[in-house]
Amino acid sequence: MLELHSLSKHFGGVRAVDDLSLTVNQGEIFGLIGPNGSGKSTTVNLICGVFPTTSGAVVFEGQDITDAASHRVVAAGIGRTFQNIRLFGDLTVWQNLWVAQNSVEERETGWFARWLGGQRRGRDYAGELLKFAGLADRANELARNLAFGEQRRLEMARALAARPKLLLLDEPAAGMNAEEVGQLATRIRALREHGMTILLVEHVMELVMGVTDRIAVLNFGQKIAEGAPAEIQSDPAVRTAYLGTADA
Amino acid sequence: MDFYYGMAQLIGVHTLLGLSAYVVLLTGQVSMAQAGFFAIGAYLAGMLTVLAGWHIVPAMLLAAVASAFVATVVGFPALRVKGLMLVVATLAFGEAVRIFWFNFDYQIAKGNIQVGPLGGEGFKQIRYFPENGWSTADVALFIWAWVIAAMVALWWLDRSRVGSVLRAVGEDELAAQSVGINLTAVKVSAMTIGGFIAGLGGAIYAHYTTHIEHLNFGVILATFAIAYPILGGLSSVIGVLIAVIFIQGFLVEVLRFMGDWRNLLFGALIVLAMNVRPDGLFDARAMRTLRRLFGARDA
Amino acid sequence: MSDFWWDVIDPIQSVLDGVMFGSIYALIGIGFTLIFGVMHKINLAYAAASIGGAYASLAAFQLLSAPALVVFLCAAVASGVIGYAVYICCFRFIPEHLPLATLMASVGMLILIDEVVVHATAGMPEPYPAMFDDVMIDLEPFWVRGDLLMIFVLSVIAMMILLYILYRTRLGIATRAVAQQPAAAQLCGIGQQNTNAVTFIITGALGGLAGAMVGASVGILSPLLALPLTVKGLIVTVIGGLGSIPGAIVAGLLVGGFENVFQYFRGVTERDIYVMLLLFVFLTFRPQGLFGRMSTRD
Repeated sequence: MLELHSLSKHFGGVRAVDDLSLTVNQGEIFGLIGPNGSGKSTTVNLICGVFPTTSGAVVFEGQDITDAASHRVVAAGIGRTFQNIRLFGDLTVWQNLWVAQNSVEERETGWFARWLGGQRRGRDYAGELLKFAGLADRANELARNLAFGEQRRLEMARALAARPKLLLLDEPAAGMNAEEVGQLATRIRALREHGMTILLVEHVMELVMGVTDRIAVLNFGQKIAEGAPAEIQSDPAVRTAYLGTADA
Repeated sequence: MDFYYGMAQLIGVHTLLGLSAYVVLLTGQVSMAQAGFFAIGAYLAGMLTVLAGWHIVPAMLLAAVASAFVATVVGFPALRVKGLMLVVATLAFGEAVRIFWFNFDYQIAKGNIQVGPLGGEGFKQIRYFPENGWSTADVALFIWAWVIAAMVALWWLDRSRVGSVLRAVGEDELAAQSVGINLTAVKVSAMTIGGFIAGLGGAIYAHYTTHIEHLNFGVILATFAIAYPILGGLSSVIGVLIAVIFIQGFLVEVLRFMGDWRNLLFGALIVLAMNVRPDGLFDARAMRTLRRLFGARDA
Repeated sequence: MSDFWWDVIDPIQSVLDGVMFGSIYALIGIGFTLIFGVMHKINLAYAAASIGGAYASLAAFQLLSAPALVVFLCAAVASGVIGYAVYICCFRFIPEHLPLATLMASVGMLILIDEVVVHATAGMPEPYPAMFDDVMIDLEPFWVRGDLLMIFVLSVIAMMILLYILYRTRLGIATRAVAQQPAAAQLCGIGQQNTNAVTFIITGALGGLAGAMVGASVGILSPLLALPLTVKGLIVTVIGGLGSIPGAIVAGLLVGGFENVFQYFRGVTERDIYVMLLLFVFLTFRPQGLFGRMSTRD
């Protein structure tokens, strides 16, 4: 579904992502792990068109989206969250979702109703997502007033509001306690049940090992291993590069 | 009574100017070009009624469309720069427009006098209202019909999804893009709407003062344009109106007895206001209080 | 000499005069750029404060008949004090995350300073002392105006002192540390507030000198000078690249020469249009300015 072909990004002399190739299949939960500064977030940003690639290509559902503008990437069917949550703090919770509905309705409703119509449809649609994110009773709160965990959930709901086919989660468990990580895992599995493909960029091992089907490991911008969670855990290269130094 | 009509006219025109900056500010862009768009509207509308003999309404609309067009053209390159660079770029654009009119001559003979813009002397004799026998009250009503139309339109826009999208872009461009918002389209649209409203304001201004010159459209006017929405707080169009009434009505007119000292007071009050209420005089909290007073649902 | 030579001699002369006058723009540009570098905010009251300082120094001239050089120094000191006042009124107490509020407050300050000047002088232009204004240095075929040369030399000295402070003293190193890494600088025991305040005082003094130079070259001071100087200073800052001191210097001289040659060809009413065009060319083709880095920060 998503293919990266020899993707590279150099910042000056630093090779943040170096000749990275990988394929995420329809319906799977794919984990992308690696130590700090190994190029995980850069990869997400390259896929989403935040900054231009140095070389290589990003192909989504057979369509070349290399260096496409961010909003085109969303329209193609890729949603994302940010490592450091980026909500629209001065908008209410439901308005955060309203803003993001854009690309869905492009095909369903007329221009006038979509942009200048009343709030009812927007609220109805936001309602389902808020229920999923466990925020139904917070709909009229300003996003900035939410607790940390709630903000993470809202950001995920916002990414879903554009009805993506592929969801990129950039360290969604950062700063969460064990209970919240458990709820997150449940939520990610529920999304897959609905046919969503997920690329999970993560640091928290229990989450990655628990929910993913396949994992790729990055170190210094290069892919050093790829396989099922069990294989990755026993891979000696991964142990030295990552588990050995960071977690063990 | 004419005094109050005059004040109503002034407040109306400045409200349009403030509204034009309000739309653009919602997207996080501080545009100092609004005085330039205002000037384009003023000169073009004046030329249409005086030189071409048009009725005022089509003249205003065409002038506003022309302003909006210029704003669109300015909007595209302005996207390349952000924040403070945009302030300087739009400031320079506004000044360039002013200097353009400073150097612009186009006069024709009408009866035994020459009419039309004449460089540094300005554009005199924009006498559409007196020539057609409009009283001061008529003019004030006419202006306020436009102001109310613009306020209602923007109020609606603000309540619709467009409003949330504009604010989303203003808060975090990267996040806005990543939920599928086309930044170029949103920012340029905001500039275009702003240009249209500023053009309308300028067109009316030219006709009620009857004499415009380039000095009317300098940096100070551009500053006023952004001062209204910032002082008013960016939570609602009502804030703009309140700020205009505060500045033009209270500071400029009521304190007229203070003579030239009121400008000094004006500067000091802005400094004070921004220290005491950095979110604007009429911020989101005040807005909610107001809603509650009118018994509306908190939405 | 050939006819062609006679045709180019006047334009070259006007570029020369303009570049020397441009050193004033460079000083103002440095002030904007330095405050931007440290606080990531623009102090729109800066040029007005500079003119205000020059006005304050008139007291030394009119009451004490002090020599011109002393008057210039008084202008620098007065502007430093005004700079501190601007910092307190517009930057110190307004929360960091509300850049619009600081911008607006500094506009209020601009109006306030301008109005105080208007009231103190009844709005009339005041004569300002100059040095060497009767000297003409003959460099066949060009002339160098003594007062412009003096302005140029004094500006260069001021810039050298500034660069010395920034790069060779503890104070300067602290300033640059805050500009680059505010949080880290704080951890190293450098007070951000103090550094900000000192930056305002230093740039204020620099601006005061620039204000005095404007007065000395034009021969009079007028409150009407503040706004054009603000606009030119901002243009210089952007052309030079936000936050770049060498950029501000080069851009100041460039804008000075550029505007004077267009004044020669197109007259004083049109020349500023060409300066704006120069800015738009830069914004389109080199938005980061002459020496600026392309950064994501606004």
